[in-house]
This record gives sequence, C-alpha cells and structure tokens, in this order.
Amino acid sequence: MNQQPPLPGAASLSGPTADALLQDTTPWLSCEECFERMDAYAEAAINGAPQQDQAMDTHLRGCAACHEEAQSLVDLLRDV
Amino acid sequence: MMTAVRRDGATAGTATSPAGPGPEHASAMDAPMDWVAALSSDGPEHTAALRSLHTLMVRAAGHQVWRMRAALPDTSPGAVDLIVNQAADEAMTALLGKLHTFQGRSRFTTWAFKFAILQAATEVRRLQWQHREVSLRDLDLAIAPVHDSPELCAEGRDLAVALADAMHHVLTTYQRRIAVALLVDAVPIDVLADRLGTSRGALYKTLHDVRVRLRHELTAKGYLPGTQDRQTPTPTPQPQEEPGTTTGGTR
Repeated sequence: MNQQPPLPGAASLSGPTADALLQDTTPWLSCEECFERMDAYAEAAINGAPQQDQAMDTHLRGCAACHEEAQSLVDLLRDV
Repeated sequence: MMTAVRRDGATAGTATSPAGPGPEHASAMDAPMDWVAALSSDGPEHTAALRSLHTLMVRAAGHQVWRMRAALPDTSPGAVDLIVNQAADEAMTALLGKLHTFQGRSRFTTWAFKFAILQAATEVRRLQWQHREVSLRDLDLAIAPVHDSPELCAEGRDLAVALADAMHHVLTTYQRRIAVALLVDAVPIDVLADRLGTSRGALYKTLHDVRVRLRHELTAKGYLPGTQDRQTPTPTPQPQEEPGTTTGGTR
C-alpha cells in the first residue's frame, strides 16, 4: 500500500526554499529563449566579455536546470 | 553505431594530448568550414559532416553525463555509453531539424554543443526519477508547526509563516502545488513537465508568476523592501486546470 508522505508545512518554507520562492525573476525570460541565447552567452563568458543580458542572468538564477546546462556549456568550451 | 565514451566525455581512442592523432583529432581536421552548407548538401561532404557532428555531440553529451554521474542509477561504462550515444543521436536529430535557424551568433560547434547538453541533462534527470513518484502536494499549515522548529531563528520563522500565509491567499492550488514540487520537493523541472504532460517553459512561467505574486504580497506586508518588483500581479488568482495530483514513474 502506498503511504503518502506528510504534507509540507510552513517550516519547509525557510532558508534556501524561502529565497528560491522569493527570487526576483523579472524581467521575464522563457526557458526556450534562454536556450536560444545560451551559446552566444557562453562564448561571451569564456571570452571575458560577459554579455549585458539582464534577462538571461535573471533566468539562470531562477531556473536550476537552465543554470546547470549553461554552466556546463561554459565548462565544456573551456576544455575544448 | 555506438561510439565508446571515455569518462571525461571524449570518445575512446582519443589521444591524451589535444594535438595527438586519434579519431577526435582526425574528425576536427575533417570538420567542414561551413557546417550549414555541408549538412545541407548531398553526397560525401554531407556524410562527412554528419560524422563530424556526431563526434561533437558525443563529446558534449559525455561531458554532461559525466557532470551528473552521481544522479545515475547505473554508472557502469556500458550504461553510460548507451545514455551518451542515445542523447547524442537525439540531439543530432533536434539540431538538424533546426539547422535553418542557426544565425551565426556563436560558433557552430558551440551552438551544436548546447543541443547535446540539453538532451543529456534531460535524460539523466529522467533516469534519476524514473522509479519515483512525483506527488503534487499542497501545503498544510496544521502540521509541522513552524514555531516548534528550533532550527529557525525568529526572523526566519516569521518569514516562513508569512510566506505560507501568502501562498494560501494569493496563489491558486495549482500554482502552490507546482511551487512545492519544484522548490520544496526539488523535482527537476523537466521531470515534472514530462509527468504533467506540459513543457519546461510552461512550468517556469507558472513559477515566475508564483514569485511575482509572493514578492508583491510580502513587499506589501513589509517583509521585503519595496519598489523592487517591476510587475504587479492581477488582484485575484484565476483558477487553473488542475492535473492529477500524483504521477507515477515508469517501471
């Protein structure tokens, strides 16, 4: 029989979780647009000329999956 | 045909020195000057370009799988090779379908890498969660009383209570459950999207709306400094369609 874990209470909304819930993700940028810009963004990062792309920076702070993939691309470019 | 992958993501047989002879070096030497033209052409140039592109994709997919190896249920070389090659193949298909959209804002190889990284990361996260249920849980303020949590300082307790209160008052049930799944239960966004039959972008938009509403509410209540938000949420959350509350993993 499946036993459901207890529902999370307010105590689960502290520390990093509260920070993540209250992250300011404005200006809005979609994950799809983030993917579109990721290659130029990563090249600019490794060339020491980070792009002034506030929406991209904001999105990467607010989306763990896109952040991992962008960082991975930067690291890969540094290796090749 | 499957290409064996080294632990660092390079293809097997690659010389240790970047300049050394080996399949990867040979492939780089053979790489077309104009990828789009070569991949759009017919004949031997097309075949060679596809082979070079596959090498790139395997390298990038291998790089990504190696970064996330701790999340893999099976880290045997055979299993890793399979994941890497499948991701590379699927990324190639995705790239070729979007070849006409390449605008040259980066090198072609960088543009290609991101497809493989996305595909490999998505696949690793899917495998990590494939046998786990994803429950869309709501918050319950009646349990786990926040004031009984000794690990929280007074300020943290106050914010947590205010945040929970705001989540109940300014979010729809759906928004609250998505926020809990992504940020409390740490379900990866692409895994949740797959289970709910939606897209990663749609879930991120929901999360963005959640954050705007919560920031607006907590700013109004004095918990956050004002004038930071550039968007004002609509006053009343509109009910959204609620998917099932539990999505099982594939077995």
